[in-house]
Amino acid sequence: MEVPEEKISYLQLIKNGVFKENTIFRLVISLCPSIAVTTSIKNGFLLGIAVLFVQTMVNTTVGLLRNFIHPRIRIPIFMLIISGWVSVVDMLMAAYARETYKEIGLYIQIIVAFASILARAEMFASKHRVDYSFFDGFGSGLGFLIALVIISFFRELLGKGTLLGYSIVHAKPLLIMVMPTGGFLVVGLLMGFFNWIDMRFYGGKGAGGAGGH
Amino acid sequence: MTFKDILKITFNLVVLYLAGGLLLAAVYAKTSPIIYKNNELEKARALKEMMPEADEICYIFEFTDERLNKLRDKGVPEEIINKLKELQNEKMIKGKEEFFKTLEEMLGAEAVENYKSLLFKTLKANDWYPHGKHAEYFITKKDGQVIGYIVQTFGKGYSSYINILFSVDTGFIVQKIEILHHAETPGLGDEIELDWFKNQFKGKDIEHLKVDKTGTKKEYIQAITGATISTRAVSEDGIKNGILFLQKALKGEVEHGSA
Repeated sequence: MEVPEEKISYLQLIKNGVFKENTIFRLVISLCPSIAVTTSIKNGFLLGIAVLFVQTMVNTTVGLLRNFIHPRIRIPIFMLIISGWVSVVDMLMAAYARETYKEIGLYIQIIVAFASILARAEMFASKHRVDYSFFDGFGSGLGFLIALVIISFFRELLGKGTLLGYSIVHAKPLLIMVMPTGGFLVVGLLMGFFNWIDMRFYGGKGAGGAGGH
Repeated sequence: MTFKDILKITFNLVVLYLAGGLLLAAVYAKTSPIIYKNNELEKARALKEMMPEADEICYIFEFTDERLNKLRDKGVPEEIINKLKELQNEKMIKGKEEFFKTLEEMLGAEAVENYKSLLFKTLKANDWYPHGKHAEYFITKKDGQVIGYIVQTFGKGYSSYINILFSVDTGFIVQKIEILHHAETPGLGDEIELDWFKNQFKGKDIEHLKVDKTGTKKEYIQAITGATISTRAVSEDGIKNGILFLQKALKGEVEHGSA
């Protein structure tokens, strides 16, 4: 029952993931990890890389299998695909890329519970061809990565007075910024900023995400 | 929902979950020995750094009936068992190399070569089980004198069991700690890996392994902001209990279950 699809450009898909449907600033999902982890740029970046990879793989797999998956049981199947990829990547890295695993292993393991991955599989990959799904996964993973780096930039600078671990501000840092409270503050302000750009220059209506963790 | 739908759904789930399970099993089978080896290597490396001044890291070996019976069950010849029986009442505290050397003198090089890893695994009695997990402790010597102990322990953290290695001197003062493995929250609990956190354990005795959240009582362990549970897991659940166990074990109050 292949429905002929209209042609979408790959670049458009990536841009869509980064700007129009940015996981954090536009869809407002996966806030929990993005607040817990973004206390330093390094942490934010590593989590972003891990999500980028898993998101792309999951979207591709779902895109491949979408005609075989019965719509009524798609969610448990998506969860299987997500946790399967996470476990496979986790084990392979622990065995063959020990040094990288030490840095990034923690982040890989917490990805299973990410709403953003499931949302992308449900919203896009289950309805589109595999190549489109691949680029959509890559785009939204990239959008997530960029959002995390921006958030953690402000939190590390204000909360610790450092950037990438190097001391920048020689004053007593605002401890609240590395606490979850500060995470919400930064995410909220940035979201407002991006909404403002959207409304002012592109005539958008601002983000209307339902939230989720 | 028709009967056909139910069939299709069942088929769907069975096929995909079977495929997923098989894939995971295959990857696990391939990677788990390598992961195990990597972990052991890391532990060995960390052990050496725990007490750089020590020239020998010793295990404890026992020759109890239970252990000898196990050797017999695994197919070790009776003559070897009989010779080992002479050591029955002894506790041997020796490094790995020394242990094999002693056995070679008793049993001959060939016998030791044939059953090397079996003898080592079965007679070794420095295991303990914090939170039901297998851990070890070691006695460190310098010029034949005991200068301290290294203990591996587990602390129950926020989202994982934290695998810790620490060393104490003969007065049970903490010298050094190392986090071997954990899965605490990135950005909060994972600060237990940082040097400022690990270094504050140096010189603490069992009374001062309490966690201070106020930031004023510097003689206690300073909690990581936003990660009190992980801090407690390392210092109170992990290291403090490790020292308590060690003290008991050295007094001979602990029954060693064989591995």
